[in-house]
Amino acid sequence: MKKIYFIIIALFVFFYIITEVRKKKFSVKESFWWVVASLIMVFLSFFPYSIDKLAKVFHVEYGPSLLFVFGIVFLTFINFKNSKKIAEQQEKIIELAQQVAILKEETK
Amino acid sequence: MKKEKVLFVIPAYNEEENIEKVLNEIKKDASFADILVVNDCSKDNTEEIVRKNKVKCINNIFNMKYAMAVQTGIKYAQKNNYDYVIQFDADGQHIAKEAIRLLEEAKSSNADIVIGSRYIKNTGYHCPLFRRIGTKMFEIIIKLFCKQEIADPLSGFQCLNKKVIERYSKMGNYPEFPDANLVIEMLKAGYVIKEVPVKMRLRENGESMHGGIIKPIKYMTEMIYEIIFILIQSPIKKKGNK
Repeated sequence: MKKIYFIIIALFVFFYIITEVRKKKFSVKESFWWVVASLIMVFLSFFPYSIDKLAKVFHVEYGPSLLFVFGIVFLTFINFKNSKKIAEQQEKIIELAQQVAILKEETK
Repeated sequence: MKKEKVLFVIPAYNEEENIEKVLNEIKKDASFADILVVNDCSKDNTEEIVRKNKVKCINNIFNMKYAMAVQTGIKYAQKNNYDYVIQFDADGQHIAKEAIRLLEEAKSSNADIVIGSRYIKNTGYHCPLFRRIGTKMFEIIIKLFCKQEIADPLSGFQCLNKKVIERYSKMGNYPEFPDANLVIEMLKAGYVIKEVPVKMRLRENGESMHGGIIKPIKYMTEMIYEIIFILIQSPIKKKGNK
């Protein structure tokens, strides 16, 4: 029964992301890693014991803790990517604002 | 009869070694057309060379990469009421005389986009194997889903008519690599795309934007991913077109 809940949640997340991209509310490029993550969620909800097998490969005793590690690594990666993007955009906004200010003065 | 306005849009990034030759060739072989260089924040003397040749130059404030530079030029064309835009590379690969053939095809046929193709006929163009495989793969995808043969969907050598200029200039999601994905999107939207066999030269100086190993892999992944989304998207109806 629990498995069905997880399948429903995973499929909901997957289709929610796809729908947002289709409605052009989320960019195709930015959606890539979220779609990858949601597909992994869908896979794990159908085959929950695959995480235990993977844990054995990594010599991790308790399967779900490997899931947490992967989750944290993924979120850190997304967070880092976003921070990098914010910094880049901040630079560009400053550059744009300065250019607009100069143009405004020149066209006075 | 009103004379049709034609604009060559040339995105350029660090092309000081090639740009002068390209501009002189267009001035000589397509003197009827206007030229616009979109300097994508080059670190070399590209801008100075363009200005010295008395050609219009728009400077992007920061490096926006190839596609956004092209779109800047298309926006300029839309604002200044141009009838045709010819996308032309600054690295010397494209030949101005061939651009006239694209333009003639766009004027005489019902095509909205005319692509200069290297692969319809054997034009003697030797392209790297990896690129050739990619092109073939996208050709198959387009044939499968759009029922049309486009032999060179990765060619940036294109002539766009006013309807396409209008659409591209208003696209908020203009793709980072406007290649097969955009071809599929436009075909799905009902635009007519034709190909004309053209000769192209190999790049003489500078570095290609698809060089190395990582970049082509990233390019292919992004392209396939975008195509999947375009294919699952419902067809977009084109305004004023059947």
